[in-house]
This record gives sequence, structure tokens and C-alpha cells, in this order.
Amino acid sequence: MSVNISIETPNENQIQEIAFDGTETYQPLPTLSESLTKCATRIDFSKSSLDDLKKEDKDGSPVDQFQPSLWPWDSVRNKLRDALTEVCVLSDVLSISREKKYLVLDPIQQEPPENKAMVQVYARKKALSQAASVLLTGAERLKASHVEQKNKTSSNFHIELLRLRQNWRLKKVSNGIIGDLSYRTAGSKFWHNGTFEVTKSEDDVETEEDSSSAPSTPTSTIPPTIKPTSAIKVNVPSELQGVAYIKVITQKDQGDLCTAKINLMGYGRNIAQQSGVWQRVLESAQNVLFCKELFNQLAREAIQLQAPIPHVVIGNQIRANLFPQIQLIISLVHTTSTDTAQTSSSNQDNDSVLEHSLHQLLREVHHKNSDHPFPQPASGPLGPSKKRMLAGPLAADRFELLEMTKSETILEQIIAQAQHTFMRKRTQYVLDTLAKDVRDPQIVSHWNAMNSPTMSCVKINIVTHGYETMHRTALLIHVKDRTLKCIGRDGRVMHLSYEPQELRDLILCQINQHQITSLLSLAKCLAWQVLSNSNHLGIGSVEPLGNASACLLSSPNGDRMIAVQLRSDTSLEARVFIAKSPRQDFFQIPLVPEKIWENLGGHFREVRFDKIEGKSFLMKMEYLMASLTSSSS
Amino acid sequence: MSGIPSTQDLLTQACNNKIIPNQEYLLQGSILDSASDHLFQRLKGLCDNVESGPQLFNDHELCLSLRAPNQAQPLMLRVRRSLEVDAPYQLRYIGQPEFGDRTRPTLVRSSIDVGCTATVIEFLTELGCKIDYEYFSKGYMFRKGRMKITMSKILKVGKGDEALSQSQLVELSVLAPTGQDAIGEEMKAFAEQLKPLVQLEKIDYKRLGSTLP
Repeated sequence: MSVNISIETPNENQIQEIAFDGTETYQPLPTLSESLTKCATRIDFSKSSLDDLKKEDKDGSPVDQFQPSLWPWDSVRNKLRDALTEVCVLSDVLSISREKKYLVLDPIQQEPPENKAMVQVYARKKALSQAASVLLTGAERLKASHVEQKNKTSSNFHIELLRLRQNWRLKKVSNGIIGDLSYRTAGSKFWHNGTFEVTKSEDDVETEEDSSSAPSTPTSTIPPTIKPTSAIKVNVPSELQGVAYIKVITQKDQGDLCTAKINLMGYGRNIAQQSGVWQRVLESAQNVLFCKELFNQLAREAIQLQAPIPHVVIGNQIRANLFPQIQLIISLVHTTSTDTAQTSSSNQDNDSVLEHSLHQLLREVHHKNSDHPFPQPASGPLGPSKKRMLAGPLAADRFELLEMTKSETILEQIIAQAQHTFMRKRTQYVLDTLAKDVRDPQIVSHWNAMNSPTMSCVKINIVTHGYETMHRTALLIHVKDRTLKCIGRDGRVMHLSYEPQELRDLILCQINQHQITSLLSLAKCLAWQVLSNSNHLGIGSVEPLGNASACLLSSPNGDRMIAVQLRSDTSLEARVFIAKSPRQDFFQIPLVPEKIWENLGGHFREVRFDKIEGKSFLMKMEYLMASLTSSSS
Repeated sequence: MSGIPSTQDLLTQACNNKIIPNQEYLLQGSILDSASDHLFQRLKGLCDNVESGPQLFNDHELCLSLRAPNQAQPLMLRVRRSLEVDAPYQLRYIGQPEFGDRTRPTLVRSSIDVGCTATVIEFLTELGCKIDYEYFSKGYMFRKGRMKITMSKILKVGKGDEALSQSQLVELSVLAPTGQDAIGEEMKAFAEQLKPLVQLEKIDYKRLGSTLP
């Protein structure tokens, strides 16, 4: 065990002699001719076949090898001579036999081989069984591979790649596959190229091993979770990872009025089921890209726009003033962990209108970038719009041409839309509270179902319950982004600002007029005469809002008179006076000597109107007129 | 007068600033009717996506000439109108084509387009213009960036739909301000992509005429 074994290379040269001092004298290597002769001597030409040669090697050393030869080629010569002799004899024999005089060659009758049937059957059986086994093993292997393929379809790289290709833009760059999730083909001009890399995932095998080894461990009671493994791995740039959305808040004195959020997740058809994890990853990355582009555009516009109160861009937030004390805050929220995004989205409801319109506005910009009209006729220049092409023949002036160059930015449009949303809500609130507060004439408002993002329309009808056919005051209000436009029944147009008080005052005035006008038509029905009527009474105490309206009615036979004064403030108080003629307290005095003056009517006495029976002003007035008429006969 | 600059001044200023696209870069070729469908499909694939699909056009072009007494070359004007769409007439002046040397990839000629009303023909004949020839041009147009590609059939006027030849005219053109020669390379690259189907080249009409007897 402990003996060291040294290994030496064998000497190539044979040792001729060893001197006494131990030096070895080597034989020089034989030359080529020497080695050839040496080999030639060893050839036995009489044994030509390979088997004989092999046998000879096995039998042992031929004797002649060690015989000292006189001449190196002596044995070769001898053998060649023997061979020549044999050939000569053979040719002699053949030539004699051809003569057929002395020698005749007869074929030797060979014994036919024994035909053993049973042996053949066994041999065939054996061969067939061998062939069968080869086929069977082959079939088994095919089956196994087929089953394997079936199990692995979901994680097959090429099938997945095909699916990816059906939904996303991919191209091959040298050895890698690069995908594109930007909106460039749709007309976007955002600086980010939005590329992602597609690779074959390496941890595919590991996860499979994990899942297969999990049930084998006895300690684990949890069933193995099947991870959605995919053969494709997509590498999205780090700035596009995570979840992003745009939050729009309308704020009034730090209190939120409405919130909108843009989150494109869940748009489009549902293809997540048939495709792998990458679909979700890419969709969210594209969403991040879209949100970033949108915010980028908005921030740029916010800085460029010269608003009376400048817009403020701080970090991921844009602040713009809608109305005094009311702000619009647009912020970009980008989180890399999905859990926080889900919790934040659940506690705030989102206004789908603002969400949708922001989304739509950027798409519109994209569309304008990519879509240019074709010139007609075809030789015209590419680029100018149809309107611009018509400008020459229709002789457009400088103002019209300047108008064509103007376009609204996304921020301006979204501010206008937010303002409109706000105005609409405010108008709704004013109308609803008025309808609730004012019971007597009923205020019915019809909102048009069809409206544009910056314009909606409401029709207001003021009627008295039970007297709908008598009179109906109609009013149309166009709600725009910052103003209201009211169109009365008579065609009068009034422009109101965003202050809610103005609308409230207008409606109150309309109610006031409605009461008087419907009283006049009621009087006509009851055959009372209208002596005078004024919507703007110039006398009496100063009203906080507009003027009081009044009318004077006289009974059919003229013996009674009713004077009505309606104040137009919030109380909508009505004061009613009656006078009777001939007056009871007429005395002849020197100034008014004659009796006829007693028909002139006496002093007006106020009626305690609130004590009169009736639900509404008109009902009370009808009751009053009816009672005064009946008593006169 | 000092406050508002005159129209003449504004126009010359615009010309000097090179903002008016008045140079047409042009390549032309033709394709046989039998192969035109292949070209149509290729152009559909190569060109920008348009929602409405390939744009059809059907135009009528009149070529008028005004012969001045002391000038050898008549002034040529073209009036074109669309037969499909209700669009304004177009009056067009096309200058002499410049071929340049071999390094220049496209033909360049000055081009001025003006939109007009239908009375323009009447106006021009009153001026003394004579109608030289007229034809219908019917086909498709495509867009790739700022390049416009038209493939059209030239039809004779007044004889129904009788075609002038068994082939279609293919034109690749860009209208750009003076001095933007980079567009030529872009056009050449695009023309290369259509190569086996159609050979878009600078075509010299004068040389074309001289070869004919």
C-alpha cells in the first residue's frame, strides 16, 4: 500500500549492450527499408485468406521467422516461385481439360442440405418475436412522449409564443425577441419606446419539480398550489412595472366633491384565461404607459397654458382652478405592489364620466396624429384639412382662418368638462331644493338624456296642481361649462353666471310671474274683469329681489274689486285686498257733493289670505272670487 | 398702411422662410393591369393604416395652355375636379422638371395648387387659355408618412370607360418646401420596396418623345 510506484516510459530502442560502468548502448532504429524487409519476411503468401493468417498468429511462431536468412528477400522469392509453379500447373490442367481428350471435368454431385421443418418454424418464430418486441417498445416510447406533450401544452414555449404573437407586436432582433406595447401605431408620439423582451423562462422545470415533490413530503398538509407557469417570460422595463392610474378629484375647501380614476385594467376582451401570466403583466404595463403619457401631456399643457389663475404642477399632481374655491386635482398614482392598489381602489367610488372622457381625449389626440384626410381631387397636397381646402373657394376671411388654427388642449377640455359636471350638479341641486321648498306652484324639471360632455339641457315647467290647463310657465336652461343660458317662453334669453343664487332668483321671478298670469286666466274663466296688471310694480316697499307684481280684478257686475300683490322673495307672500261698491260709508261732503260717486268703490281692506280655504294660491283665489260673485247677486 | 403688411409682402416673406410647400418630389412608373392587384395588396400592407380602407378617387383633369405672343413656351395650367366627392376644383401650375445628376434620387418640379370654384374654366378661357387635352384618372391613393402614392387608370374622355392603355400609372410624390432634399432618399427607399412589381423612376418626357418617330 505504501510502496511508491514510479512509472517510466519504455525505451523505444533496444539495448545492444550494457557496459560495466552501467552505461547502456542502444541499437539504432531500423531504417524504413530494413523494417520493410523484416515485415516482408513474415508474410506467408501461401496462406492468402484472412482466417489462415489469424490461425497462424494463434498457432505460434512460424519457424522460418527465426531462421537466419541468406538474403532478406529470399523467402519472398521462394514463395513467389512456388506460386508461379502452381499457377503454371493450373493453366496446363485447364488447357488439357479444354481439349477433352485426356481429361474431362465433371461436376461433383453435392448432397442437398437437410430440410428440417421444425427448425425453420422455430427460427421464424424467434425472428417474429424479436420484431414484435422492437415494434412494441417503439410504440410505448411514442405513447409516453405523446402523453408528456399533452401535459406540457400549457408550458410549451412555441405555442405560447404563437399566442403572444396573436395579441402583441413582436419582432426578432438578432437572437432575442423584442415586443412593442406602445401606442405608436395608434398615433402616439410619446417619447417612451415601450419595448419588452421575451425570453424562455428557465425556472419552468424547477417549479414543476417543486409541485411534484410537495405531496411526497408527509409534513405538508396544504395541497400543492398549481402555479400558473409559463414557458415565456416577459421582461418589462422597470418604469412600466406595477399598476398605475390617474385620479381626478374635484375639491372644494379641502373636501372632495367627486373623484374619478382612470384605470384601463379590464378593458378589452377577456383573453387572460387562455393566455398565460404575461398577458396580465403586459396589459398592466401598457396601462402604466398610457397613464404616464396622459399625465405627461396634461402636465406639459398645464405649464404652457396661461390661465388667469395659473395651474400648478407639483410632482405627480396637477391643480387647476375650476371656480373660486373649487379645484380640480389630477394626480398620477403609480404603485409597484398590487395589494395597495386594490385597497385604495375599493374605498373610493369612481365617476365613470370623467374617467372615460380623459381616456377618450388622449385617444382623440392619437387619432388626429395618425389620421389625415386624403385630398380630393387626388393631385392635391396631403395634410390640410377639408375645411382648410374649402377656405379658398369659399373666400374665408382672416378671422375664420385663425379660428381653424385654434385647438383645445386636453387640459382645457377636461377642465371644461369638470366645470360642466360641477355646474350640472349645482343646477340640479338648486332646482331640487327649490322644488322641495316651494310647494305651491310645482316645479317640474326634465333633464335631457342626450347631452354632450360640456353641454346639457333642462326644461322646467311651473304648474299649479289642479290648474295645469290654466297656465304653464316653461323655461329652458342650457347648462354650459361656466355659464347658464336660460330661454323663456317668450323667447327672452338670459345669461347667468356660475353663481347658484342667480338661478334661484330667476326661478323665483318666474314663479311670481306664473302666479299672476295664471290668476289672470282664472279670472277670465270666472268672468271677472282684469282692470290692470303689472309684473313690475313700482310702488310699495323695496323688494330684495326684483319688483312685486300686482293685478286688479273686478267682479262681473263691477261691484267688487280684488287687488293682489305678490312679493317675489322666497316667502312668495301674497297680499289680497278687496273693495266694495257702492261704498257703504259714503257721505255727501262739499267736495264730493253728488251721490253717483258712491259707486267709485271704497277703501281696500286686506283679506287674511292664509285663513282662506284652499291648498294653493289659485284655489284660494277661486274660492274668494266665487264667494264675492255669489254675494253680489 | 404701415400697420398691416400687404399680401405681397406676406407671401414673399413666407417664400423666403421656406414654409410654403411648393416643390414636388416625384417618381413615376407603370404596371400592367394583370399585375396591378399584387401591387394593390402590397401597398395596402406597406402604407399607413386608414380606417376607411384604401381611398378611391375618380378625377377629371383638363390641361389648358396660354400662349403669350412673345414667348415660345406656352404657360400650362391644369384644372382638376373630383367626380366622386363634392370638393372644390383645383387649379395647378407645374413647373419644368429638374432631373439633376444621378445622385439625385427623384425628379423635382415646382408645383402650386389653388382651390377654386367651378367657374375657373370659364375664367381661364376668357383669359385666352385653350384646352389642350383632358382625361379621367381613376384609381386608389395611399399614404405613407408624408408620401402619397397613387395608382390610377387613365381613361379617355367622352368614350365611356375606354382606357388609354393596358397599364396603370403609379406615382409616388411628396409636396415639400424648397431645400428639403432628405425626403428624396426616403422616397427611394420606399420605391425599392416595390421593386419587382413596379420600377419607379425619374421619367423625362422630352426624351420619351424624342425616341418616338
